[in-house]
Amino acid sequence: MSGPFNSYVSRVEAPYTILEHPADLGIEARGASLVEAFQNAAAGLISIILDPTLIEPREERQIRVTASDRDQLLVKWLSEILYLYDGEGFASKEFFIRRLGLTDVEASVRGEPFSPVRHQTRLDVKAVTYHQLLVHEGEPGALVRVYLDI
Amino acid sequence: MFQKIDQYRYIIPTSYKKGMRIEGMVYADDDLIKQIEKDQTKEQVANVATLPGLVGRSLAMPDAHQGYGFCIGGVAAADPDEGVVSAGGVGFDINCGVRLLAAPVDAKDVQQKIEPLLNQLFRDIPCGTGRKGLLEISTSKLDGVLRDGAQWAVKNNYGREEDCARIEEFGKLPEADPSLVSARAKERGHHQLGTLGSGNHFLEIQRVTDVFDEEIARKFGVHEDQLVVLIHSGSRGLGHQVCTDYLDIMQDGMKRYGISVIDRQLACVPITSSEGQRYLKAMAAAANFAFANRQMMTHWVRNAFMRVLGTGDVKIVYDVCHNIAKMEEHEIDGKRRRVLVHRKGATRAFPKGHPVLPEELRDVGQPVLIPGSMGTSSYILVGTEQAMKETFGSSCHGAGRAKSRTQAKKETSAEQLLKEMKEKGIVVRGESRSGLTEEKPDAYKDVSRVVDVVHGAGIARKVAKLVPLAVMKG
Repeated sequence: MSGPFNSYVSRVEAPYTILEHPADLGIEARGASLVEAFQNAAAGLISIILDPTLIEPREERQIRVTASDRDQLLVKWLSEILYLYDGEGFASKEFFIRRLGLTDVEASVRGEPFSPVRHQTRLDVKAVTYHQLLVHEGEPGALVRVYLDI
Repeated sequence: MFQKIDQYRYIIPTSYKKGMRIEGMVYADDDLIKQIEKDQTKEQVANVATLPGLVGRSLAMPDAHQGYGFCIGGVAAADPDEGVVSAGGVGFDINCGVRLLAAPVDAKDVQQKIEPLLNQLFRDIPCGTGRKGLLEISTSKLDGVLRDGAQWAVKNNYGREEDCARIEEFGKLPEADPSLVSARAKERGHHQLGTLGSGNHFLEIQRVTDVFDEEIARKFGVHEDQLVVLIHSGSRGLGHQVCTDYLDIMQDGMKRYGISVIDRQLACVPITSSEGQRYLKAMAAAANFAFANRQMMTHWVRNAFMRVLGTGDVKIVYDVCHNIAKMEEHEIDGKRRRVLVHRKGATRAFPKGHPVLPEELRDVGQPVLIPGSMGTSSYILVGTEQAMKETFGSSCHGAGRAKSRTQAKKETSAEQLLKEMKEKGIVVRGESRSGLTEEKPDAYKDVSRVVDVVHGAGIARKVAKLVPLAVMKG
């Protein structure tokens, strides 16, 4: 595969951790930069919904999200990935953020249409919440945390 | 810092947290209060008490546990002129609720048919993660569903005329406006009508094991040993998206109205604002989707009963909302007022004589349906005057989660759980094995204890106990 995905896509070993909540789950994702942390959080989200190893990055979708601040941007970015799956039936696998501003994200996402035969579902995620949301950028890297309603 | 005021009531005084405008109150016994203190429930009850224009108290039911913004098991009422509406105060699964169906057969007469019946239901009712329904409906039809709820389903031959009297709000919130539901919400929901879903949603075939109040049980249409079916489901992706959309709208709206909140998940806007009114109309539409959803599953339950047991004469005992905000009339400080009651993981529990109840239930009171965790018991209760005085006519909604999903999974394998269920004589069909273990019975509080607190505090009264024979999980 050519293009920006080769160099930037997040395939780091355990780039995210799944967090416990009394009824639901959260994701803590790290990265050398906020871009990476956002990408890793998206990978974490998909890993809760589907077995990502069974998704082939055959098709590409473009995403653009705007928000009023970084916190809301994280929620809206992940809500977009969730909508791609639950609304459009698109299973995402690889995430490349081209631009991450204070209030907007532009990204390409690779994956394929969801197939109940080939893909393995795990949990339905209802939504991305603002509960204990964290967007931190600093040394030695960036950290984001978000909780999901299951 | 709880102040215990009697065996079942704990006050959180306004001095507990800066910004609290009203007191908090938690219903619990000595054991449940310890469980409630383990997580953020108390903080969340106190946080809700900081919202503008609330009246009475910020309440938590005995099944309360930590949620997002509001706790699950929370009730709060807002003044219609001064108060706010919060999308998080209803939750993502708008009108998640339960419906109880009563079959014209006793369990002892159909013991051999329970497993075939469960298999038939499992075939007929789509469940599990990402599952589509049996029908794809067009946008114009979907608007009909959003406008008319269960009444749409009945009109379209998914039920009987008399069904709607046995549904909260007669299965339709009339203020619903489908045009305020986003295209995205419709896209997420249009193929999910008539699906159970996953997570804690379930369908159980149960037996009435105990009747605590014969007369009321008879009027509700249930008797000892009767076979009943309990359905727990909500508004699926459509409702989740409506909440997501309006949380965003409310985040932006708060700046306009000069409202700041302790936790962003509590985002809210004045009820009188355009955003507030739009949310309430979109929420009503999503609630109607959930009513229609449970109505369609009822239709398929009847068909399955007809096929396996030769009778489809299954009647609705009642259908209640767990996650909703509604304008209701309540007495506050001696005056009758209209207030917007948010129930997040709580059940309406109106007493006999209440004018919104259908004729046939007006001299008994509203059935309050409390599902237990998988494989334990469920309860039918009845609403009381005491609930009107204390809790804006509200009661608990279930057992309430006690352990996280990951912890539940670590403790038990799906095989172990199925074996335990089999030993109890309960047949289980589940789409997902990990989904099963996450919902294992002891991941929840003891439902009998929760119901005893509600009964003891007088905010609903026990009528009958139900025990599962077969469980279908998403």
